[in-house]
Amino acid sequence: MSNSSSQNSAKAQKARPKNLNLLTIRLPINALVSILHRATGCVLFFILPVVLLLLQWSLSSALRFETVVAILHSPLIKLMLLGLAWAFFHHFFAGIRHLAMDVHWMTTLMKARYTSKVVLVLGAIATLVLAIKLWL
Amino acid sequence: MLIELLTKRYPGMRAWLTQRLSGLVMAIYSVLAVGRFLVLQPTYYEAWVDFFKPWWWRLASLLFWISLSIHVWLGIRDVFKDYVPNANLRAILVKLLLVLLWLYMAWATWLLLG
Repeated sequence: MSNSSSQNSAKAQKARPKNLNLLTIRLPINALVSILHRATGCVLFFILPVVLLLLQWSLSSALRFETVVAILHSPLIKLMLLGLAWAFFHHFFAGIRHLAMDVHWMTTLMKARYTSKVVLVLGAIATLVLAIKLWL
Repeated sequence: MLIELLTKRYPGMRAWLTQRLSGLVMAIYSVLAVGRFLVLQPTYYEAWVDFFKPWWWRLASLLFWISLSIHVWLGIRDVFKDYVPNANLRAILVKLLLVLLWLYMAWATWLLLG
C-alpha cells in the first residue's frame, strides 16, 4: 500500500461514524440468535461446577439424593432451573442451526431469518414444556 | 486423509471442525440422555444410581464430558479473544480456563469411573 492511500484510508476511518451504544444498536433477528448463542454458552460454562457438584451429591447416598431433590424443588431454584434450561435449549437449537448452515443448508438471508425464528420458537416451546412438567 | 488435508492447508479449520464435531457429540448425547430419563423416570435414589450404572452409559457420559471440555475451550477462548484486548490479561485468563477445564475433567472422570 502506498503512503498516500494509507493516509486516505486512515482519514476515511476517522470520518466513519461509530456507534457502539448497545442500547441503540438494532439487532437483526440473526444477530440476536447469534449473540444469544454466545451468551447462553457462557452461562452454561459457569454452571458446570454446580452440575458436577449436584451429580456427585445425588449419587453419593439416598439421603443426599433427597436433599438435592428438595433443593431443586424450592420455588426460586426451580425458576433459575427453568432459565438455565432455556439457555441450554437455545444453545442446542442455535447450534443445530449452525451445523445446518455449515453444510450449506438454509444459508440465504431469507431462510436464515426464518430459521432464526424457528430457533427462538423451539427454545420457547421446549422451555414451556419443561415449565409445565415442573409446576403441574 | 480428508481432515489432514483440510487442516494442513487451512490451520483454522482444525479448531472449526473440532468445535462442530464436539457440538454434534454433545447434541446426540443430550437427546439420548433426555430420552433415557423419560423412559426410566429415575425419581428415587436407587433408580438414579441405576441410571448411571451401565458401563456404556458411563463411557458415553465421559465422551460427552470430553467433548464439552473441548467445546468450552474453543468457545470461551474465542470470547476472550473478542472481549479482552489486553494480551497479558488474556493469556492469564486462557491459562486459568485450561486449568479449570482439566480440574472438571478429572472430577467428571472420578465421578463416572471411580
